[in-house]
Amino acid sequence: MGGLLPPAERRSSAVLGAYVALSLLLLLTGERIPTDALRGIGAWLFAPLDRIVLTADRMVAGWRENQKLHERVATLEIENLRLRVAGVENQVLRAQMELPPWHTQPLKPVEILALAGEPIPTAAVLSAGRRQGVNVGDAVLTRDGLLGRVGEVYPNLSRAVLLMDPNSALACEVESTSVLGVLHSFASPRPRLLLTGVPLADTVLIGQRVLTSGLSRRFPRGIPVGVVKSVGPDPSGLTHEIEVAQSAQLSRARYGFVMGGQPAVVGLP
Amino acid sequence: MKGLAALIFIVVLTLLLRSTALTALAARGIVVDVLAFATVVWALRCGETWGSTFGFALGLAADLDAAHWLGRHALLLALIGYGVGRMSRSMVRDSARTQAVLLLAATVVHQAWVVMFELGGLAGWSYLVRRVVLATLATVPVGTLIVAVVRRVSGQSLFGHAATQADPAN
Repeated sequence: MGGLLPPAERRSSAVLGAYVALSLLLLLTGERIPTDALRGIGAWLFAPLDRIVLTADRMVAGWRENQKLHERVATLEIENLRLRVAGVENQVLRAQMELPPWHTQPLKPVEILALAGEPIPTAAVLSAGRRQGVNVGDAVLTRDGLLGRVGEVYPNLSRAVLLMDPNSALACEVESTSVLGVLHSFASPRPRLLLTGVPLADTVLIGQRVLTSGLSRRFPRGIPVGVVKSVGPDPSGLTHEIEVAQSAQLSRARYGFVMGGQPAVVGLP
Repeated sequence: MKGLAALIFIVVLTLLLRSTALTALAARGIVVDVLAFATVVWALRCGETWGSTFGFALGLAADLDAAHWLGRHALLLALIGYGVGRMSRSMVRDSARTQAVLLLAATVVHQAWVVMFELGGLAGWSYLVRRVVLATLATVPVGTLIVAVVRRVSGQSLFGHAATQADPAN
């Protein structure tokens, strides 16, 4: 059959055959190939270009944000004053109740250079890496809530695995009722976050906030994750199917924070 | 050598657009399938060998970026590049209708293939259909418009082919 084709067409068919064979081989064995180093090189190469492309977008957004931030600074200054008073009162009350003192954890501001995955991003390239003190397992958040965790660290960049990644799992609790569950990303029948493992006997209401729980060894307790969007029985009829709307707005994610200090545990959610 | 440099430049540009400017739209559910668009344009311009090479290179880079299912974009974009390149010999490449039809076919096939991997089959077919329709509605008009604008601005055909209408002087 190949001999019937003209030489140019035979060559292009052979090239295509090689690409198809290589692609199929990668599909079958790709998960076993270590690609971290290649992604690291890619992130390093693309970081300056990402910054250039984002500059125009961020200049326009920065102008609008500046106006909002002026208002917000004024509001926060007033609130900060009120919280200082409440903080002093809190310390006194905790001492009276013999509770251990509350430790705050340092936040490192980072720029979110690029998002990967369509239509819902599953990974993000951050502008800080090992040299800036970022470690694998550190929590990544925005002012709205948790984005994910650092999955790969390069010298000056890092790659965060977002909550929508199919392999991510996060121990959470529902605010005020302390109902515990594990947050998973599901792609079928549509991409969404579900709080799993919540018994039907527990009461969960739409609109309640979902936070990280103390059971997660990667994340400190109390980081906002999302809001309960819908509640219903799961197909097994034993637990709730709770859909969670993520707090962090991915379409507007430009800056974030890395929260270090948690021990990196390999193989645990 | 010049062709290879152009290929690398377009691959980098496409990936940059995809990971920056288009992510805001994608997060709102509107996916402009820039991978399919770039592959179709390149294959129309350069034929099946370069079309499949471009599709494979672009797909492999996108697969590496996505970190899951290495080879899924590469396989389909190589096939799209080859198919469009083969067909481009026998069609009027500068016709907006031709470009729209090719973009439509490429976007539908590419999106359906990619979403099936994410869903693990056809279980969420309603989401698959919605995603494919939205991506097609976004990609086809935008892609056709971009080609037309580039042609108008540069003043010459992108694909080096005869005009779609007969010269009235003849």
